Amino acid sequence: MSDEFNSGSNAEEIINAEQKMTNLMFKSNEIKPNVMFLKLKDLMKYTNSLKTWSRKNSVWPMLFGLACCAIELMDFGAERIDAERKGYLLFRGTPRQCDVMIVAGWVTKSIAPRIKRLYEQMLSPKYVIAYGECAVCGGPWFESYNIIKGVDQIVPVDIYVAGCPPKPENLFEALIKLQKKINGDEIGNSERSISSNIRKI
Amino acid sequence: MSIMRINIGPMHPSTHGLLRLIVDVDGDKIENIEPRIGFLHRGVEKLLENRMYMQSPPFLEKIDYVAPMGWDELFVASIEQATQTQVKEAAQYIRMILLEFQRIASHLLWIGTFLNDLGQMFTIFMWAFRERAEVLKLLEDISGSRMFYVNFRLGGLTRQIPEDFVERAFKLTDYLEAKVTQYKDIIDDSSIFIQRTKRIGVLPKDIAIAYGVSGPVLRASGIHEDVRKSKPYYAYDKINFKIPIRINGDSLDRYKVRYEEIFQSIYIIRKCLDYYNGLSNKDVIGLPIKLIGPPAKPDIVITQRELPRGEGLIYMIPAPQKPYRVALRSPAFSNLAALPKLATGSKFADLFSILGSLDIVMPEIDK
Repeated sequence: MSDEFNSGSNAEEIINAEQKMTNLMFKSNEIKPNVMFLKLKDLMKYTNSLKTWSRKNSVWPMLFGLACCAIELMDFGAERIDAERKGYLLFRGTPRQCDVMIVAGWVTKSIAPRIKRLYEQMLSPKYVIAYGECAVCGGPWFESYNIIKGVDQIVPVDIYVAGCPPKPENLFEALIKLQKKINGDEIGNSERSISSNIRKI
Repeated sequence: MSIMRINIGPMHPSTHGLLRLIVDVDGDKIENIEPRIGFLHRGVEKLLENRMYMQSPPFLEKIDYVAPMGWDELFVASIEQATQTQVKEAAQYIRMILLEFQRIASHLLWIGTFLNDLGQMFTIFMWAFRERAEVLKLLEDISGSRMFYVNFRLGGLTRQIPEDFVERAFKLTDYLEAKVTQYKDIIDDSSIFIQRTKRIGVLPKDIAIAYGVSGPVLRASGIHEDVRKSKPYYAYDKINFKIPIRINGDSLDRYKVRYEEIFQSIYIIRKCLDYYNGLSNKDVIGLPIKLIGPPAKPDIVITQRELPRGEGLIYMIPAPQKPYRVALRSPAFSNLAALPKLATGSKFADLFSILGSLDIVMPEIDK
């Protein structure tokens, strides 16, 4: 009996259990941490997806044409394709209100610094589409002395559209691909992306 | 008041390309304008010197992208003149039909963008693009491309004309006539449009001649000059069409001349379709491309054509394989040169009404 009474292990267990109980009681009486903060933290998951959803569905292009492809850009804005149903609203006149810059036409040496400045004036996140062969690589003017062979030597390009000129439907497809890219999906071969590896003039 | 200097462009929606204007204004009055050009220069004439003859039409088409077929045909015609190649009779009529359709498409685009410049946003723009799309659809079915149809060969065309072409073209002219007549109700009867164009940007006769202005801008100043009449090519002398002429030389007259030219083009197309229908030999295929190039005489060749924007001219010194030198005379360049004379003294708000009425295309100016 005495062994049972004196067995320290049992007594310690009981004391420990009591302390655990009091600790728990004490904890429950403690001031609760900020409930709002906790909920915001959970909410961030939802807000991020909301942010990408709204960003994806209101991409505003810039009113900015260089050469022939700008005529097809006008056709894109006309009655042929109703681009507003996908969130591409009217072309904006100022770069500060725009999300996507569509480079339509060949880039000469005299206009290149201005394109760079327009790109820098846009608020991030900002995207660039090289529309037509001239903006992709120089196109038919590749041998000319006054042409920059591809707009990706000046600004990072997200999507390339090939053709001379590409049809307005191709531009619409490119903009839908851009939506996928904003959503975080992969839209092409990542090894071929030049946006992370900008060459300098 | 002191004179203020305003910079417009080079990227401005109303400059129709990359044009920089430096304007000195005194209050609301324009004192001086200095156009700065060259933002789209890519050295076309130099590129043409390094290519065989029939490799060049794609470059010529991009000179005037609103009406590419005109420059394409002009270059092919100058090679034909150098090599003394005869164009087949059926191909002559088809070329005329295509060129007039191209003129209609160009004028329609101009009407849409001009009304946009004046502030009547997007109603006429949408209408004009709807009609232009129908024209482009027909041209696409013939040539295989929507905008740049490299469709001309020496002595004819690249492809055979589809069988239902005549029927479709007649239908299209009816459609265009019905639709373009409707524009009158919304444009000509609009008092705002009249106030913004009437007696604005007046170009007198003598100044128009002195500056070498051509095309509808010249005809709006009351001068009866059209290459199709004065130096007729193909079968234009067989057809009794009118040249629309106005005498005041303001923006309104330039609009009206172009508007009436659409109907004259429809008339020419119908006549040509009738002639083409009556032909027994409807073969239009031209000579095949030879990469070596046609044997050209080393002589000077000068070819003139009436393009939608005015008188285009090619001065070529041919050599056996490549042209030794090609010089292009673009109508838009001399039309733009008259802008400082036109706009000095008018109000700043009217500047784009005047600039738009000249119908310039910047790559044609910069070359």
